[in-house]
Amino acid sequence: MTLRARLFALVALVVAISVTLATITISAAARRSFEEVDRQRTRAVLTQFRREFALQAEDVARRIDRLAASDAVQRVAVDIGRRGDAAPFAAEAAPLAAAQGLEFVDLVAADGTIISSAEWPARFGYRQPWVSSLRVRSDAFLQPIELPRETALGLVAVRQVSSGSRPLYIGGGRRLDQQFLRTLTLPDDMRALLYRNVEPEVSSQQLVDVSGQAPPSARFEPLIARVRQTAQEITETLDAADGRESVTGIPLAGPRGDVLGVLLLASSGRELAALLSRIRWSGIGFGALGVVVGAALSYAAATQVTRPVEQVADAAAQIAAGDWDVRVGDVQASREITALAGAFDTMAVQLVDQRVRLVQAERVAAWRELARRLAHELKNPLFPLRITLDNLRRARTLPASEFEEVLDESLATLETGLKNLNVVVGRFGDFARMPAPVFEDVSPNAIVEQTIRLVRAQIETAERPPIRIALDLDPACGTLRADSEQLGRVMQNLVLNAVDAMAKGGELTIRTVPEGGGVRIDVADTGEGLTAEERERLFTPYYTTKQHGTGLGLAIVQSVVADHSGRVWVDSVPGRGSTFHIELPRTPPDVGKGVPA
Amino acid sequence: MKPSISRCLALASVAAAAAGVMSAARPQYGGTLRAELEAVVSTLDPAHAAADQKDEAARARIVPLVFETLTVVQPEGLQPLLATAWESDAHGSRWRFRLRPNLVLHDRKLLEPWQVAESLRGAEPSWKVAPEGDAIAIDTGEPVPDLPWALAAARYAVAVRGSGGASIGTGPFRIDHVDASRVLLKAHEPYWRARPFVDAVQIDMGRRLDAQLTDLEGGRADIVSIRAIDSRRLGRRGLHVEASRPLELVALVFEPHRAGDAALAWRRTIAATINRDAICTVVLQGNGTPAQSLVPDWLSGYARVVAASVGPTLSAAAVAALPIDQKTIVLRVDPADAVTQAIAERLAVDAREAGFVIRVQAPIGLAPRADARLVRVAMPATTADRAFVQAIGRLAVRGLPPTPLPPGSMLEATYQAEQAAIDPLVVVPVVHLAELYGIGDRVGASVNGAARPTGGWNLADLWLQGGKP
Repeated sequence: MTLRARLFALVALVVAISVTLATITISAAARRSFEEVDRQRTRAVLTQFRREFALQAEDVARRIDRLAASDAVQRVAVDIGRRGDAAPFAAEAAPLAAAQGLEFVDLVAADGTIISSAEWPARFGYRQPWVSSLRVRSDAFLQPIELPRETALGLVAVRQVSSGSRPLYIGGGRRLDQQFLRTLTLPDDMRALLYRNVEPEVSSQQLVDVSGQAPPSARFEPLIARVRQTAQEITETLDAADGRESVTGIPLAGPRGDVLGVLLLASSGRELAALLSRIRWSGIGFGALGVVVGAALSYAAATQVTRPVEQVADAAAQIAAGDWDVRVGDVQASREITALAGAFDTMAVQLVDQRVRLVQAERVAAWRELARRLAHELKNPLFPLRITLDNLRRARTLPASEFEEVLDESLATLETGLKNLNVVVGRFGDFARMPAPVFEDVSPNAIVEQTIRLVRAQIETAERPPIRIALDLDPACGTLRADSEQLGRVMQNLVLNAVDAMAKGGELTIRTVPEGGGVRIDVADTGEGLTAEERERLFTPYYTTKQHGTGLGLAIVQSVVADHSGRVWVDSVPGRGSTFHIELPRTPPDVGKGVPA
Repeated sequence: MKPSISRCLALASVAAAAAGVMSAARPQYGGTLRAELEAVVSTLDPAHAAADQKDEAARARIVPLVFETLTVVQPEGLQPLLATAWESDAHGSRWRFRLRPNLVLHDRKLLEPWQVAESLRGAEPSWKVAPEGDAIAIDTGEPVPDLPWALAAARYAVAVRGSGGASIGTGPFRIDHVDASRVLLKAHEPYWRARPFVDAVQIDMGRRLDAQLTDLEGGRADIVSIRAIDSRRLGRRGLHVEASRPLELVALVFEPHRAGDAALAWRRTIAATINRDAICTVVLQGNGTPAQSLVPDWLSGYARVVAASVGPTLSAAAVAALPIDQKTIVLRVDPADAVTQAIAERLAVDAREAGFVIRVQAPIGLAPRADARLVRVAMPATTADRAFVQAIGRLAVRGLPPTPLPPGSMLEATYQAEQAAIDPLVVVPVVHLAELYGIGDRVGASVNGAARPTGGWNLADLWLQGGKP
C-alpha cells in the first residue's frame, strides 16, 4: 500500500470513528428524551380520557334521571302497575331514547324482563341481565350491550321508577366507541384505539380507531390479551408499518371490576425515527465530508512527501528501461528528499559514465578478442607459408632439378595455405553479413528431422563413440512463420555442438513442444556440461570451448533466434549435460522487417 | 248575574251539547269521503286480471263499491246479492241463478238478465251463460260444485257497457272520474238497498302507508290502510281502527337447501322457538292471530287440529355444536314490508335463545342466497279449499311435494292437504293478519263498520259528521 493510500485510510478511519461515536451518543440521548416525553404525553392523554369518561358518565346519568322523572315513563310505570299489561308499551323506549339522545334505553319490569328496548325492539319479554342486577348504582358504568348483530360496549346508568309495589327500571346510555375517541385531543403522532372486550376471545372486530374502522390488530392482540388477563396497565413497543410504536394498554373496568375494554394509546416512533434518521444521515454526511476533506488534505500532504519520491522512482524505472539520460533535477521537498534526488542524479551520471567506459572496454576487449582470433586463425596458415618461403630461398642454391621439385611442392603448399586463409576470412565475412530471414510457413518438426538426416552420417562415423539420437516431436507444434534455411543452420549448430560435447558418446535428445503462442525446441546432450562462466559467455562471438572452434556457431544461433523474435537459453549441470532451449513465436511480431516468402 | 239567568244559561249549554252529541250519532247525508290506497289501479273493469297482490287488494276495495256480484261472502257464510236464489244439477256443472228484480244501473236503467249473462261471459269465456227469463243459466262444462262461492269474487262482478261506453254497475257508487292518481265516485241515488250517506268518495291512489297514516292523523283522509304495528299510535291519538277477519298469512318458508329430511329436526327446533303470542300481542299490537295452519280458522274451522309433525328437537348443546353455517340462518323479507320485518326481528330474538343466529335480510338488489323467507300472502274470504290453494300457490314453496286439491273439494280433503303441507315443516305458519283501516275523526259511527269482515271497504254505510241529518 502506498504512503498516500495509508495516509488516506488513516484520516478516513479517524473521521469515521469520530463521527460514528458522536452519532451514537446523540441518538441515545435523543431516544431517552423522546421516551420521557412519550411517557408524559401518554399520562396526559390518559388523564384526558378519564376526565371525558367522567363527563360522559355524568351526562348519561343526568339523562337517565330526566327520563325516569318524565311523564311518559311515570305513566308507563303507573299503567303497568295498575293493569299489569306491559305489551302496549313495547315501543316506548325508542322515542325516549331519541328524546334524550341516547343510543340505549331499556324499560325493564320488576322481574327483569324487557318491556321495551330502544336498541333492540324485538327483544321484549326476555330478561335484561344488567338493568335489574345493577340497579342500585347511582353513577354510570361500563356494560356490554347486546344488539341484534353485535355486542356493543356502553356507558350506561340505571334508575328505578316507583309505581307502587311493582317497580319499573329504566336503563340506558351511549356506546363507547369511535365517537368517544374523537372527543380526545391527541398529539399528531399519537393515536387512540379502543378494544371492546365483549367476546370470549380477543377479536379483531372489536378494535376500533377514531375512524370507526378496525385497524390491523394482529400486533395488538398479545398486548390486549395480557391487559385482559392482568387487568393492569402495560406498555410495549410494537413494530408498525412506518417504524416502531410505543403502545400503552389501559384496562377499562366494569362495575364488578372485570375488564370490559382496553384503551390503547399508541405513540408513533415516527418522529423519533425521523430524528434518529436525521442524526444518522447528518453523521453520514459529516463523515463523508470529513473523509473528503481528510482525503484532500492527506492527498496534499502525501503529495508533498511522495511526489519527489515518485519522481525518483520514475527516474529509476526509466533508467532501468534504458533511458540513461533521465534526471530528477530540482524537487520541492524536504531536505532529506532533496538530498535523495541529488544522490540519485549523481548516481545516474556515474552509472552513465561507467556504462560508457564499460562499452568502450567491451569494444576494446572485443577487438582484442577479434585480433587474437584473427591472429590465431591467420597464424596457422601463415606459418607453412613462411616455412615454404624459407625453403624456396634455400632451394635457390640447389640444382635446377631439385629446385623445380621444391618449387612445385612450395607452390602447392602456398596454394593450400592461401585457401585456408580464404576460408578463415570467408567465415568472418559470413558472420558479418548475416542475411535477413525469409519468413514462410515451416514445420519445426520437419526442420528437426531434416537436420538429423544431414548430420546423422557425420554422427555415426566409426571414429566416434556411439551417440543415440532420440526425437520427441509433438505434432501439435504445427507450423510457424520462419526462415527454414536459417532455422536449419541453427539446428545444425546446436546438434553438432551437442555431438562435440559428448566425446565419450551419449544420448542426443531433441524435443519440440507447443508452448504459449509458439513452439519450444529443446536440444539436450549428456556430455560434460557447462560451468557457470561458460554459460555466461557462451553466446559471445568468437568465444569457444573447443580446440578448433571459431566461436561463431552459437553467436549465429542467437542472431537467428533474435531475428525471429525468439529466445534462446541454456540449462546445464556440470558432468550431466546441457540443454539448449529455443522459443519461437508462431508469427514474429516484427515479421514485416524480414523478407516475405 | 242572577241565579235564574245563570241556570238558564247552563241549561241552554247542556241542551246545545246534547244536541251536538245526538247529531254526531245520527246518520247524516252529504259530504265527500276521502279514502287512500297504496296501489294505483289502472282500470276498474272487474274482469281485468290483477297485476299483483297490491293491485288485487286495491281492486277488491273499489270494485265492490261500483259493481256487484251475484253472491257475497259474509262471516256467516255465502249470501245472495244480485242473485236471490240458485240451483244446480247433480254434477254441479249446470247452474241457474235467479236475479234480484228491479235492479237499477248507474244510468238509471234496469239491469237485464242478458246483460248479466254478457258480463259473466266476458269474465269467463269458457262458460256458456244465457238468460232464462228472470234468471241466467251457466253451463261450466266441468263440474264446479262451489260455483256460487266462486261468483262472489270481484272478477265476476256484473259490469255493463253504458251508453257512453264506460262500464257501469249496480253498486252504491258510480264512477264519476278516474285518472292516474285519483278515483272519484258519486252516490248512486236509486241504489237497490239505499242511497249511500255520503255524496261522493274520493280515492287517492299511490299513497305510501306511512303517508296515509300521516294524512289520517292530519285530517287529510277519512279512511286509510294501516299496518298492525301502527295501530296503537292511532289509538293514542283517539283515532279509530277497524279490522277485517284474518285474511293474510305470515309464514316461514325454508328454501330447498334447508328443506330436506335431514334438516327436519333442525327446522323443528327453529319452529319451536317461535313465540307467536308475543308477536301477536306486542309486535302486531293485538292485531294478529297465532297461526298453526295456513288457512285461518274462521274460513276452515279445522285450524285448531292442524299441527306440524311432532318429533325430536335439537338440544341447546346440540345447537351449540352445529357448524356456524348451520347455526346461522339468513331470513329474507320484503324490504317494503315493515310488518314482516318486525316479525322477522322477533323470530331472530326467539331463535337466538335457542342458539341460532337469524340474520334478517331485506334486499334491495342482489343478495346472497337466503336460507328461508318470511312471506306474507293474502287469501280471499272464500271456501277453505280455495283459500288453501291460493295461499300455497302464493307462498311459492319449493321442495314440497304438490298437494292437488280440485275446486269444491270436501273439507276433509282440504284438511288432509294442508296437514300434508304443514307436516314437513318446510312451511311454518306464524300469524294470521287482518286488513286494518284507520278511520278519521269526521267519520261517524256505522252499524256495519267501515271495514267489511271479509275484506274491503263498507263505505255505503258510513256518514260524515257535519252532513245533513
